[in-house]
Amino acid sequence: METKRSKYLLIGLTVICILLIGITSFKDGIMEPLRTGVGYFLVPLQTGVNSVGRGVYTELKDYSKLKNALEENERLKDEVARLTEENNRLQQEQFELARLRELYELDQEYMQYETIGARVIAKDSGDWFQVFRVNKGSADGVEVDDNVIAGGGLVGIVTDVGANYATVRSIIDDSSRVSAMTIQSGDRCIIAGDLTLFEEGRLRITDIAKTGEIKDGDRIVTSNISSKFLPGILVGYAADVTMDPKRLTQSGYLIPVADFDNLQEVLIIRGTKYTGEEEGEGAGA
Amino acid sequence: MKRILINLLLMVLAFTIQTCVFPMIPFLSASPNLLLILTFSFGFIHGSQAGMFYGLFAGLLLDLFYSGPFGFYMLIFIYMGYMNGICTQYYYEDYITLPLILCVLNELAYNLYMYVFRFLIRGKLDLFYYFRNIMVPEIIFSVVTTLFIYRLFLFASRWLEELEKRRDTTIV
Repeated sequence: METKRSKYLLIGLTVICILLIGITSFKDGIMEPLRTGVGYFLVPLQTGVNSVGRGVYTELKDYSKLKNALEENERLKDEVARLTEENNRLQQEQFELARLRELYELDQEYMQYETIGARVIAKDSGDWFQVFRVNKGSADGVEVDDNVIAGGGLVGIVTDVGANYATVRSIIDDSSRVSAMTIQSGDRCIIAGDLTLFEEGRLRITDIAKTGEIKDGDRIVTSNISSKFLPGILVGYAADVTMDPKRLTQSGYLIPVADFDNLQEVLIIRGTKYTGEEEGEGAGA
Repeated sequence: MKRILINLLLMVLAFTIQTCVFPMIPFLSASPNLLLILTFSFGFIHGSQAGMFYGLFAGLLLDLFYSGPFGFYMLIFIYMGYMNGICTQYYYEDYITLPLILCVLNELAYNLYMYVFRFLIRGKLDLFYYFRNIMVPEIIFSVVTTLFIYRLFLFASRWLEELEKRRDTTIV
């Protein structure tokens, strides 16, 4: 009797699950209230456990850091001197740039994005996906599709927002695709996360036009035609670009700027990209 | 009732440790899947129906955490609880070999499920690479963790059962 009942239950639950999968595949956001509700309870807990774990870990790390610190100090002093000199030079160039920009009436707003600092509180522990959760949500003004940066480079994009948390998919996730371009030549390409390259700390660059001139070490930034990523965010540096066997496109690898191994604080750029589809692309077509 | 509550708390705790502590440990290249271990242990100890409900909640937690299609994890965890519940007839206290074998089988099934529905479906065919670099490390870690967790879990379950029995007798 018992087994028969549990068999019916199993079938019932299976049907419910498959229905749910089907519905949410087409219409995302139905489960939003439930996610947010559970988030109210779970996120404080995650934050707590996370800070305890981090505390212990930093204690241990601090000691080993101290040993390296002295050595590093020497090196850094040299670097400060070098950078001061470089900074002076760059400042001069900055003035010149400002002057030229005014002259050409270039958009000054280009790189000035408003950001929110957030702390990584949970990560996927399995190796299949590269998603993590941060402790800022819609209450702080985070929206779905907001870009996330850390350490001067693009980290990922917000895929899901609750009142007090947001889920971010890293660009190293296997399903991530970012439209990008080089600063030097303006050639467009696609940056794709790839699980098989994850261990080497690389991403794949694909779809470079065969005439494109991307060389090793070129700076790759998000492109201005991307529908979800704001333009001009540094992603990484190109490496090993070769012609594809079919000789229609080139592809290579990308070494990301952001350090994905110990990501702790990230910056979320407020405001998703305004594509201006109605006037811009619509009118052009 | 109390038993259900305590089990739920244990599950949430495992989930929190799995998502907040394991990924922070930098030298750990793979980490054990605690929720999976708890689910199949629970099904194995308490039978199909209980295992199914335990799997339902464990899957729910994961589904709430990820932003993919909702129910993806619930489905596999429900089946995991149910299937391992069938093995409950071979359940014998302090017998660790069968749980270890079950752990390997469950991990394999879970990882293949991930691979087929999230990777193969997008045309990533290199199963061998994923098997070697992702599945095998996770399976090894999980088996080692099962060695410790299963005993602990068994002990906790037995203790809770006794607690309930004792209360029943005092009422009578």
